[in-house]
Amino acid sequence: MTDRPSNILTRPTRRQALSLVALGASGVILSGLPRLGEARAAGAKTISGQLTVAFSQEPTVFNPHMPHIEVDDGVHFALFDSLFSVDPEGKFVPGLASEVPTVENGGISADGLKWKVKLREGVKWHDGKPFTADDVKATLELLVDANFRSWRKTGHDLVRDLTVVSPTEITWRMDKPFAPYPSILASTFITPKHLLSASADPNNAPFNNAPVGTGPFKWVERVAGDHIMLSGNPDYYGDGPYIDKLIFKYVPDLNVMYTQFKTGDIDVVGLQWITPDHYDEAKGLDGKVVNVVPGSTVESFTFNMERPQFKDPAVRQALYAAIDKQSIIDALYYGLPTPTESYMPQQSFYFNPDLPKHEYDLAKSKDLLAKAGWKPGADGILAKDGVRLAFTCSTTAGNHIREQVQQYIQQSFKDLGIEMTISNLPPAVMWGDYWMLSKFDSVIVGLDFLTGSDPDTSDYFRSTSSGAKGGSGQNNWQYANPEVDALLDKGGALFVPEERKAVYVKIQEIMRKDLPFLPLFQYATVRGHKQGIDNVSPNVNVRIDTWNIATWRRA
Amino acid sequence: MSSAIYPATDLGAPPRWWRSRTLARFMRNRLAVVGVVMITLMVLACAFGPSLLPYDELFIDLRARFAPPLTGYHIFGTDPLGRDIAARLFNAGRISLMVGFFAMLMSTALGTLIGIIAGYRGGLLGSVLMRVVDAFLSFPSIFLLLALAAFIKPSPFMITVIIALTSWMEVARIVNAEISSLRERDFVLAARSLGYRSSTIMIKELLPNAIGPIIVAATLTVARAILLEAYVSFLGYGIQPPLPSWGNMLNGAQQYLDKAPWLAIVPGVAITLAVSSFNFIGDGLRDALDARSDGN
Amino acid sequence: MLHYLLNRLGQSLILLLLVSMIGFAVLNLAPGGPLSQFALTPGMTREAMDRIAHQMGLDRPLPIQYLDWIWRLLQGDWGKSYRDQQPVLQIIGSHLFATLLLMGTSMVISISLGTWIGIRSATKRHSLFDYSTSVAAMVALSIPTFWFGMVAIYVFALKLKWLPAGSMYTIGNASISDYAIHLIMPSLVLALVDIAVWSRYMRSSTLDVINQDFIRTARAKGLTERTVLMKHVVRNAMIPMITLAGLQLPTILGGALVTETVFTWPGMGRLFLDSLGYHDYPVVMGLLMFSAILVLAGSLVADIVVTIVDPRVRLG
Repeated sequence: MTDRPSNILTRPTRRQALSLVALGASGVILSGLPRLGEARAAGAKTISGQLTVAFSQEPTVFNPHMPHIEVDDGVHFALFDSLFSVDPEGKFVPGLASEVPTVENGGISADGLKWKVKLREGVKWHDGKPFTADDVKATLELLVDANFRSWRKTGHDLVRDLTVVSPTEITWRMDKPFAPYPSILASTFITPKHLLSASADPNNAPFNNAPVGTGPFKWVERVAGDHIMLSGNPDYYGDGPYIDKLIFKYVPDLNVMYTQFKTGDIDVVGLQWITPDHYDEAKGLDGKVVNVVPGSTVESFTFNMERPQFKDPAVRQALYAAIDKQSIIDALYYGLPTPTESYMPQQSFYFNPDLPKHEYDLAKSKDLLAKAGWKPGADGILAKDGVRLAFTCSTTAGNHIREQVQQYIQQSFKDLGIEMTISNLPPAVMWGDYWMLSKFDSVIVGLDFLTGSDPDTSDYFRSTSSGAKGGSGQNNWQYANPEVDALLDKGGALFVPEERKAVYVKIQEIMRKDLPFLPLFQYATVRGHKQGIDNVSPNVNVRIDTWNIATWRRA
Repeated sequence: MSSAIYPATDLGAPPRWWRSRTLARFMRNRLAVVGVVMITLMVLACAFGPSLLPYDELFIDLRARFAPPLTGYHIFGTDPLGRDIAARLFNAGRISLMVGFFAMLMSTALGTLIGIIAGYRGGLLGSVLMRVVDAFLSFPSIFLLLALAAFIKPSPFMITVIIALTSWMEVARIVNAEISSLRERDFVLAARSLGYRSSTIMIKELLPNAIGPIIVAATLTVARAILLEAYVSFLGYGIQPPLPSWGNMLNGAQQYLDKAPWLAIVPGVAITLAVSSFNFIGDGLRDALDARSDGN
Repeated sequence: MLHYLLNRLGQSLILLLLVSMIGFAVLNLAPGGPLSQFALTPGMTREAMDRIAHQMGLDRPLPIQYLDWIWRLLQGDWGKSYRDQQPVLQIIGSHLFATLLLMGTSMVISISLGTWIGIRSATKRHSLFDYSTSVAAMVALSIPTFWFGMVAIYVFALKLKWLPAGSMYTIGNASISDYAIHLIMPSLVLALVDIAVWSRYMRSSTLDVINQDFIRTARAKGLTERTVLMKHVVRNAMIPMITLAGLQLPTILGGALVTETVFTWPGMGRLFLDSLGYHDYPVVMGLLMFSAILVLAGSLVADIVVTIVDPRVRLG
């Protein structure tokens, strides 16, 4: 998440990361994909030169199965491979698997329960040991190991009967059909059995600070608080690498990062990129390529639906109409993000474009509230049945632009007789129990709702997913709608994208009507790299820009 | 730095004598007088300034964002939300000065209490208390302050409390030193043998002797508290928006340093002026209370 | 002497214990926790967070966690960071150089400049120099360090473009001169307050010495004013300064924290803020203990040095 302080002091810590968006299909039945590795393995590769990528947060977790944040992913992509990965169009391309398992090629049974994955031959770990099906088995087992601090068990906990058929083939059975699983596998990096599972305590294995993968770059060193250095892996099976020394530099201040990009000290500006207020200047820079890239994170004004003030749908609608979305985007965010009505990224195959458009209309707000029976009390604040329309709004303290948004909204609300008190908290407090157990009134947050590149949002919308009600998910607005529950069940068991789409389009429609959160906009960020570095391209389906770092090369 | 300076003469009697001579000495210190004048002006500006300005400190006008100083009626310009900086500055001054003043009251009370108990009782209790003082002093106070601030809801009251909690040690040391040097003197023993209660002896007989150094330390604490509020708010753990304080007006200003330097300059100058003034006054008081400085 | 040292050491240990209790209580009683940073990771669930918290032992009662922590500490195990699993001492070590470089440079500047100003003001009492430096010192003590840093960045980095706005060195070009260029602004900004402190103390210390009998004797012996000043006045006036240097350590450490923030200097101050933001308790506790030890050691060393330099002072 990006709501942590990269440096809690001076920087906007907006959540802007890209994450997995399903663009095309969930991929299970796609076939005839380009074989990245094989197609390009032809020409001899030259590994030379140095490339510096800057992040404003420090990568610190190098075991990809332990809880980590986007910038850690940025390093993982250079070190590790997954069985298959997801490209910018949302298609799966083979990685350590020699082909993407689909129903068509017999990799997945028609009911989605039986899996068979063929692996690439001749792949070696960075330490020279051969990669085999045992490593895949050990990885999937480690993820559900009760003693291991696994960051995600979802999906993996349905895997049964893992069987190594041969060093290049593995099979398993799913306990029940689970459509998002391919997307989850696409973001599951395979780790070496001989270094991790052999360790008595995988939580403290030496591997965690000296990772060994199969990826395009090998671990060299980390200077804590400063940088990480990797070197090109000449034995890499796929396309690339073309860079000899890859440096991930930690630059906690976005202004400094931008300055160093201008002066040429940084080749590629990584998360959290160039601040919106620098966009105008940045796009005119000589020798630099600067683009606005949409992200999959959606910013929303989120309600705690169990608060009496917010139980009345008229209140939520009225508050929505009282938010001057366009001014917020144009003035405070320099016009970069796109207004949205849905939690689903607009690039997604599952996006519903026909949702009613938001209008900033204070008269309508007033009308809605009056009709619903909210009347000004002695203090000028609207009230109904003894409930005052007064609440707190929280977000990460130190996120300056968001704090400006809050204050701007606060003024509009005040004119309507609604009292919004700003109560921002330090990140470690904000996103702890306060958020997870719904102790807030309202929150402004940027969320990525999707599971991998899959449209499933059960953890966020299912009525049994609220932490405050003993649930295990992240339905922190405590939203409960039986219709949505049923639709989520249905969508999770369907494997044909076109069939699934109808379900998720409907869910978006209901969410727009019920408004447990007011969708504000979908993030867009300003990316930049030096001219003459090829293949630095965005991918809305992954969390970080280095998804294809193997192919980055200096022209 | 000032604990040993105050002369322990005229013990037991309320030290009325110092007022006129002290005042005269104080008035001779030009800087101290300048400090008093400046603080008076600032208090007046913060008290009445907001009502004289055409803008409300919370009024947002996105069309007028980043107006440089002297644009129309915006004498100090506007901030990223188009709010009038002058209006915010004066309102922020109310908060910052209040935080400084009340933090001073609280920390002085706490420091005096601890110091007087430790000094009068002595023994185990005394040394335990003074070790606690040492423990607090061996943290860099900003570390402690941030650690505390990170974990509370940052209202002006709580910020005042935690600033007080990290600023009382100086006073405690001063009072402790003063009291322990007096506690075996004749007049205390006399009071004790007359059956006065300990609390009466402490407050009526001992405390007045330390009043000079306490006043000096208290003045300097106001300066320190204003600075600390600025540090904590600048780092994002202090007073929260939209309530302005001098410190939180600077929070985020670094981001706009190139484009809108006045966002940083205006509140920074206000802080420096206020803190210098209190330091001038404190210094003047110290000299004025020090009988030795008469000869200079 | 030995008895005194043992006594001081014992007191210091009790102090450290107190420091650790205060610190631990403050950190752990607060809401939130080290896992909050992962709450917004796509796919993160409350169940997973609870499970990981349990595996990390974060759901144990506070006193147990404290005892566990202090017991390990006594065995020399400072714990591991929640963020990157590195041993705390190693993490502090890797940030120590940057802070020591900054503090060291700044102390050299502030002590030499402060001493010079102090002596000059004392010997030319009531001169224009004396008055203007006194006023300047008072104002310097009143400027928020971070603000002064910002103004310096605005003037020297953004407008004049003479100096870099932050960082310790240029990536890929970390020569000594590069370090030096990056060091100029932060060390001067950090030194500002200390120059003020030093010059004021040095002034009053020199004044105390200058009027003493042995100086008059020295003058009477016919020594030149310069010899008297250098050999007798300065030497004796410096003695209280040694103690002061020890006592100033916490202030400089605190100042370094703020300065490092403004200049994105990769030292312990920024490590502290980062770790605090992530609720990385082992590192925060480690830093608190480390700075407390540094401060206690500083004042102890200062006391010992005073006895060596000044034969009149005897400990114990």
